[in-house]
Amino acid sequence: MENAIIIRYCEIHLKGKNRGYFEKMLKENIKRSLKGINFKFTTMHSRYLIEDFDENDYDLITEKLQKIAGIHTYSRALVVDSNMDAIFEASKVLCEDKSGTFKVATNRADKTFTPSSMETSMILGGKLLETFGGKFKVKVKDPDFIVNVDIREDGKTFVYTDVTHCLSGMPVGSAGKGLLLISGGIDSPVAGYMTCKRGMKLDCLHFHSFPYTSGAAKEKVIELTKKVGEYNGGVNLFVVSFTHIQEAIHEHCPEEFMITIMRRFMMRIAERLAKQQGDQAIITGESLGQVASQTIESITSSNSVVTMPVLRPLIAFDKLDIIDISKKIDTYETSILPYEDCCTVFLPKFPAIKPNLEKVIRAESKLDIEGLIEEAFKNVEKYVL
Amino acid sequence: MIYFDNAATTLPSKSALEKAEKFNNDMFFNPSALYGGGLNCAKEIKVAKESILKNLGTTNHEVIFTSCGSESDNMAIFCAVKRGIFVTDKGEHSAVYKSFLELKNRGLQVEFIDLNSDGSVNEEKLYDFVKNNNVNFVSIAHVGNETAVINDINGIAKKLKSINSQIIFHSDGVQAYGKIPFRLSQYVDLYSISAHKINALKGVGALIKKKNLNVKPLIFGGGQEGGLRSGTENVFGIKVFQFAGEEKYSNLQNNFNLVKEIKDYISKNLDKNIFKILSGDNSSPYILTVSAVGLRGEVIMHAMEEKELIVGNGSACSSKNRFSRVIEACGYANDVLDGVIRISFSTSNNLDEAKIAINILNETASALKKVMK
Repeated sequence: MENAIIIRYCEIHLKGKNRGYFEKMLKENIKRSLKGINFKFTTMHSRYLIEDFDENDYDLITEKLQKIAGIHTYSRALVVDSNMDAIFEASKVLCEDKSGTFKVATNRADKTFTPSSMETSMILGGKLLETFGGKFKVKVKDPDFIVNVDIREDGKTFVYTDVTHCLSGMPVGSAGKGLLLISGGIDSPVAGYMTCKRGMKLDCLHFHSFPYTSGAAKEKVIELTKKVGEYNGGVNLFVVSFTHIQEAIHEHCPEEFMITIMRRFMMRIAERLAKQQGDQAIITGESLGQVASQTIESITSSNSVVTMPVLRPLIAFDKLDIIDISKKIDTYETSILPYEDCCTVFLPKFPAIKPNLEKVIRAESKLDIEGLIEEAFKNVEKYVL
Repeated sequence: MIYFDNAATTLPSKSALEKAEKFNNDMFFNPSALYGGGLNCAKEIKVAKESILKNLGTTNHEVIFTSCGSESDNMAIFCAVKRGIFVTDKGEHSAVYKSFLELKNRGLQVEFIDLNSDGSVNEEKLYDFVKNNNVNFVSIAHVGNETAVINDINGIAKKLKSINSQIIFHSDGVQAYGKIPFRLSQYVDLYSISAHKINALKGVGALIKKKNLNVKPLIFGGGQEGGLRSGTENVFGIKVFQFAGEEKYSNLQNNFNLVKEIKDYISKNLDKNIFKILSGDNSSPYILTVSAVGLRGEVIMHAMEEKELIVGNGSACSSKNRFSRVIEACGYANDVLDGVIRISFSTSNNLDEAKIAINILNETASALKKVMK
């Protein structure tokens, strides 16, 4: 009786002729994620199989599987020779810590196996009832657990009870590359997570304004980026100093446009960096109307300085829903650590909620836009996380 | 780099480290061991205790070594008195303040006495409270870690005992030991000190306790420190503490004068259009608390850091717990609270550093003022 983990994917099923491309990518992502752990990897029809692993690594492996986009579910299975006695022994082991109602579901890829699927289920169910006395009750519709018996063509049978849901989505890298603008807040890590779950490989960009923001704030962003990176198969974080740009805007532009003009600079820098890194889109954590810089007028203003597509996966999300996801991906506690992030120090008392684009452009014209961006690009820090 | 955050921690004294070095080598034994090496280590711990008592000029007390000032405060607050009314003031270090909140959580009655504007405890209110309530325990810091104010703890303890002789009096002396010339009077029952504030190591503190005072342990186990603080003693750390303490006390008044000169120089030369001096006349020369009114303490701190001047910040930039509760209790407005920084000295600083620092402080703050207004 051997231990195995069955990994299933879902959406890739829907792919036609290029399905192989996605399958291969997912397989590589899994292998990369499990690097350093000993196991045997087998590709089966629509499934992958992990075998020959050290029992002590099981938790580590499954923890990693749950962060790989493209995996729908996994099950821990026992692999036995395809004969009724062995299959029953395996079912017995799996049922030991169970209680309540159950059924047996048999799937026979090996049609030479006798008895038939229905009969196999009935025989096994009967034996399990007999063995465990009054502990179990059979219930065919919506039981507490199902003993799945999967009789394969190669003379082996998988027996498993639990199916654990994973991220689903598409394999990271299958939908190109994008640059995530990451702050220290709650939203941007969630936006990053959601985008890479859909298959886009992320780079990250953070704007830092020392001394107006602290080293601790940067550490916090590094921590958050690492957490997003766990879904991305590692991540590159670029940190650009925004201090001089902020000071220049503060000095030369009307206070109410501070944030609007800052956002425009951020987008310009993002697009330039994205092009350098081969990223095809910019991703932000903007959510419509959440703050003054996220009204449609503000978004229009910041969007108008770039030509690259800007993805805003959270645009129609409520804050509470975003918080729920951030808790799920374990970024919430880090996000709410109290360090100044680059937006708050220069926050005007009354920011323009609906900035007029013409006025913004006029206000901005007092600045040496290109010069400031050039300068910011001189000291880009890169962290490989 | 100019290091002006000595109230946070200090650079360990090289000579003290060297003198104690053998306790990391040949004399590595467990002081509880019964063979010669162990006994010698136990003896050396005793010598360290005697040294501390001599520095404090007392024969009425004994020393319990702990792992830090906070542990000493906790032990004093949780282990000397079981029930009754506990009194402290609003200017205490978190080790005392949060312990009092915990007492309150556990259902005991606690009282936080108001501060005067210089951060000292309002003695009138303290005595009034003690007269009208059957108080069992009082804790008043010797030197406020944020305001630098020196409370006359011998005088306060004496007065309290004259009102109610049953009161147990504790004082957090972490910012005072090795710095302020002072003799620990018989009226002070418990006194907390810490090693790393006087150029010794982190991880060592002590609770000075009146000899006949019955205190229960906070940590149980092998019965070290007379059963009051179990856990194998940090002999090396204790010896460094002793040697660093001896260095301080052999020159206490001179050191006091030296840092006072530095503090007075900075205090006098800070640009008064920007800075407001918060530390009053009756404050430790080792700490100068100021506010760059209208700026933010954390931003100033980072801006100084860029220019290689390290100062401490009193108020963090976060919106939550933005202000120092202690400075707030002194009655200052929000724009003052926002800009609090703590500049703190040690005997390894000198006037030349102060001169450089004053330029950095004034220039940086005035540049920030332009940007942030």
